[in-house]
Amino acid sequence: MNDAPGEHDPHTLAGAYALNAVDEGDRLRFEEHLSRCAECAEEVRGLAETAARMGRVLAAEPPEGLRARVMAEIGQVRQVPPLVPGDTGITGISGIAGRKAGERHRRAAEGSPGTRPGTRPGAWWPRAVAGLAAACLVAAVALGVVNVRTRDLLERQEAANRQIATVLAAPDARSIRVSGGPQGAGTLVVVSRSQDRLVVVPSGLAGLPEDRTYQMWRMGSARTTSAGTMRPGEGASAVVIDDIAQTAQVGVTIEPAGGSAQPTSTPLLVLNLPPA
Amino acid sequence: MGSERVPGPGRDHRGDHEDHGGLKELLGRVARGDQAAFERVYHLAAAPVYGLILRVLRDRAQAEEVAQEVLVEVWRGAARFDPARGTAMAWVMTIAHRRAIDRVRSAQAGTDREERAARLQVDRPYDEVAESVERSLEQERLRRCLGGLTELQRESVTFAYYGGYSYREVAEFLKVPLATVKTRMRDGLIRMRDCLGVER
Repeated sequence: MNDAPGEHDPHTLAGAYALNAVDEGDRLRFEEHLSRCAECAEEVRGLAETAARMGRVLAAEPPEGLRARVMAEIGQVRQVPPLVPGDTGITGISGIAGRKAGERHRRAAEGSPGTRPGTRPGAWWPRAVAGLAAACLVAAVALGVVNVRTRDLLERQEAANRQIATVLAAPDARSIRVSGGPQGAGTLVVVSRSQDRLVVVPSGLAGLPEDRTYQMWRMGSARTTSAGTMRPGEGASAVVIDDIAQTAQVGVTIEPAGGSAQPTSTPLLVLNLPPA
Repeated sequence: MGSERVPGPGRDHRGDHEDHGGLKELLGRVARGDQAAFERVYHLAAAPVYGLILRVLRDRAQAEEVAQEVLVEVWRGAARFDPARGTAMAWVMTIAHRRAIDRVRSAQAGTDREERAARLQVDRPYDEVAESVERSLEQERLRRCLGGLTELQRESVTFAYYGGYSYREVAEFLKVPLATVKTRMRDGLIRMRDCLGVER
């Protein structure tokens, strides 16, 4: 019961997409289609609205205590900045979950309040880290996941790279995938402590103006050090970071082109690595 | 947005239906860090969010956990809500449904696939809606609209939305080609849209 890829009109996926009944590959392909088809985006909007109506009628009183917990938690959670006008994405449908493949022109997060070069930004970090710690746990438990992810990864990189292959093939390879968040959703990290390397396959990062770059950081008990810059969509899609013995976390910030010696903006993404 | 007016009982009710008690304006304020506005958002959105998640997950403890994540996400991402792209309630419900589905699919890791397929056989979300004793007008309308779909359209749409199944799973279960399920989901939703009078 398989349809050969390409033989059907992607448009027919609008219903399944609005019902959230598509897998990740379908989603990416369809969102790519949406970005080029205003009519489809309009249809999806109406269908998503319809689905929401189907959900709303199921309203049920949440348990007592939820309100207090939510209110307490938001006090700890940093809010995301707005998208700048001119964004051509389809945020209303999927942007919030950070899953949109082509989120563009998102304002760089530099200059966020409370962030100074070299200092740890506040509030939202612990939450991001906690969420990712859960992801680590899942990854550590599900060893088999590495093989599946490997294939996925190989499809996405433009040229096979021996270092990457070594990390992926290492017996202690663990994979972590960022499952939510406004930025970096779908980003895949494969870590091998024995190889002292990790591979990052960025995903869900917005395009940047010419004078900005994404920069990755090794973070941990020791000081934060640069792990190189990258511009998604240009050149290799997978990045190798070595020398990770002292690294407990990997962070991604937006920096002026060429990179900075220390982070100068709030990290978009902080990944907890499995311990050595 | 931009208005500082506090929406609430007693204000004009024009547009309330689409605006859900000023949710749109409230989100604008929430985006600027207004916790009081968020309390109102909670008041308007928590029950629909929790109800939908509960329906998909069928487990109160998990539903509560996911509902908390979703409501916090509404706070965190309020600035990303764009009224030009849909109503505030749809935005919130989309997040809720996505998170519920993520939870279902992450728990699904292969082994309980069969169990899930078996559950699909006893899952009759439409009947559940249909047989609900106390029905609001809105529920009544939804029931009527679902009743206007063909059986395959209805099963495709409800299994996916209320059951959390992907169209591939639905196709497998109903033993129909993928292309058919995709088409039925789309046609079914379009009919629902027109029947419910969703603005386009």
